[in-house]
Amino acid sequence: MNRFFLHALILFVSSLLLGADVVSEKKWFSETPQNHDDLKAIQDRLKLILSGAKKSLVAIESEDGAGSGVIISEDGLVLTAAHVIGETGKKMKVRLPNGKSLPAVSLGGSEISDAGMLKITKKGKWPHVQIEKMNSSKVGDWCFAIGHPGGFDKERGIIVRLGRVIGKTEDTLQSDSRLLGGDSGGPLFNLNGKVIAIHSRISKEADQNFHVPIECFHINWKFYKEGKLLTFDKIEKKGFLGVSCQATEEGLKILNVVEGSSAQKTGLQKDDILFSLDGEKLDSREELTILISEKSPNDAVTIEFRRDKKQISLQVILGVRPSE
Amino acid sequence: MKTFHQIILALLYAFNLYGYTDNNNSELLIASERLNGSSIQHAFGSSKELATQATVRLLRNNKLIALGTIVHSSGYVLTKASSCVGAREAETSDGEKYLLKIKKRYEETDLALYKLITDKNSFQVINWDVDCNTTEGSWVLAAHTNLKEIRIGVTSGTPRKIGREGGVMGVLLTTDTSPVKGVKISEVVPQAAAYRAGLLEGDIITEIDNRRVKNQDSLIKIIGKKDPGDVVRVKVSRKTEIKKILVTLGHRSVTFDLFNRNLQMSGPVSKRKDNFEMIIQHDLPISKESMGGPLFNLDGKCIGINIARVDRVSTYALPAYLPSKVTSLFLEKLP
Repeated sequence: MNRFFLHALILFVSSLLLGADVVSEKKWFSETPQNHDDLKAIQDRLKLILSGAKKSLVAIESEDGAGSGVIISEDGLVLTAAHVIGETGKKMKVRLPNGKSLPAVSLGGSEISDAGMLKITKKGKWPHVQIEKMNSSKVGDWCFAIGHPGGFDKERGIIVRLGRVIGKTEDTLQSDSRLLGGDSGGPLFNLNGKVIAIHSRISKEADQNFHVPIECFHINWKFYKEGKLLTFDKIEKKGFLGVSCQATEEGLKILNVVEGSSAQKTGLQKDDILFSLDGEKLDSREELTILISEKSPNDAVTIEFRRDKKQISLQVILGVRPSE
Repeated sequence: MKTFHQIILALLYAFNLYGYTDNNNSELLIASERLNGSSIQHAFGSSKELATQATVRLLRNNKLIALGTIVHSSGYVLTKASSCVGAREAETSDGEKYLLKIKKRYEETDLALYKLITDKNSFQVINWDVDCNTTEGSWVLAAHTNLKEIRIGVTSGTPRKIGREGGVMGVLLTTDTSPVKGVKISEVVPQAAAYRAGLLEGDIITEIDNRRVKNQDSLIKIIGKKDPGDVVRVKVSRKTEIKKILVTLGHRSVTFDLFNRNLQMSGPVSKRKDNFEMIIQHDLPISKESMGGPLFNLDGKCIGINIARVDRVSTYALPAYLPSKVTSLFLEKLP
């Protein structure tokens, strides 16, 4: 009830400040259009922000394939997919929409979420777009995908496809914007012109494609930017804790503890809520995996968790991932 | 090691494809609210009605082979010529069926004009938007093949010319070191022209249409001048035999699509998708049997005719001025 009142108050105050803007934004941002005018509003909005969005798109070229990416800072930081960069520290080439080719180097990312980063190494002021804040995009938002399907094609130009966010979890955002190979790593925008996700995989159904939500980048920004790449290989060889979790508002809730693992030996239990590891706050399952995979078997980590409203701190000696 | 990665990847894929999202407190947007859902279709109102009424289904042996665009109230229908060979019957959105007669074929645009055999003179006709001011990111819609629903998307990319693609045999070649002079086939593309004609891996092509083939370049030059559908006489040396084989050339894009990962997932695409003076591209989720039907903008104006399904998400449409131009001479003479 309190929360409702607060929302109402915020809406009331902001409507005073912004006047009609609040009402008109609603029409094209996430509502289901009812008639010609509503559809026209979405079309007008898309056309208004499309050219700015396109300027920030790059085609990424390496020996073993092509993909897309989006520049999100003036000095040329590019968000893309992990499967587009492949490995960290690799020399790559990116192409601006005008065809100009620039040198770049791959930074980090994660093969689990498929988030990837690279950096244009030439000095300059590059056209860029803003990324959306944490937990802003939601199911039902209108969105549009841009990319270089099948690689850079100057005559054809950049391809845009409109759709809606049809599903969102901690590690995946699904949309019905259509995708093709070569779109991988390209940006998905909301109708505020901000990046809400990066194209990752197509599904069997053309209207249920997968993207890396921008939240994956926010949470692991430092790790990716420092050129660290979470690979399946690392997960396999490095430290092993032995819990499977679900993200909740308070932290990561343990769903299952692996028999014989370090977690079990130390006494972690189902329903414990993990909220930090070595002082690092845990925001997602991927972050936990990243932190653990940075450690080797027999390394000690300090885990803080909550059980029955009690806050507990434990030291765990990491083990080896069981082969089965 | 590799298999381990594959297993993990497979698991991740499987999770995502089969309802992993459902376990994660995330509700999926209901189908009717999605881009092509019934609610959004409904918002198109009269444009939706027009799109379904001005489109016909073209049938051969009761099977849908293409859609058609009603361009005159007495039942003249424009469609994609190369999809429509052998069309016998047309069905309108009210379920009525009519016999068909072909009136004209326009090779360059791959269009054909048919007449529904009837005295009726009140068919719903499209309204051309010949100014072609549809910029990228515009809503477009076309009738679904059931002529009850529509499909929705946006235009994208630059309107452009699509160049001609020569014919191909569908073989991969290698430089041969054997004493026989010619070009050796290192691989035959399954189901492609050479495969159907009976050429085999290891055959050495020595002559085409009585011209000696010395190297790969000369072979590609001879074949490249031919069109898909042309027949060439190929002389090959197979072990100790000399064989003469007739090959009906295929389409480059269709043949080598078999190697293209994007297109392996495409489902069927149009046979002719090259050699168009001008096209506009869009992302309507429609099948190759939907080619020949009209493409509309938000206001219900016909901005083009769908002319080629290109891959799993892209379609080319001829901009309205082309079909309107080629048919105007004929239609103006009608009463």
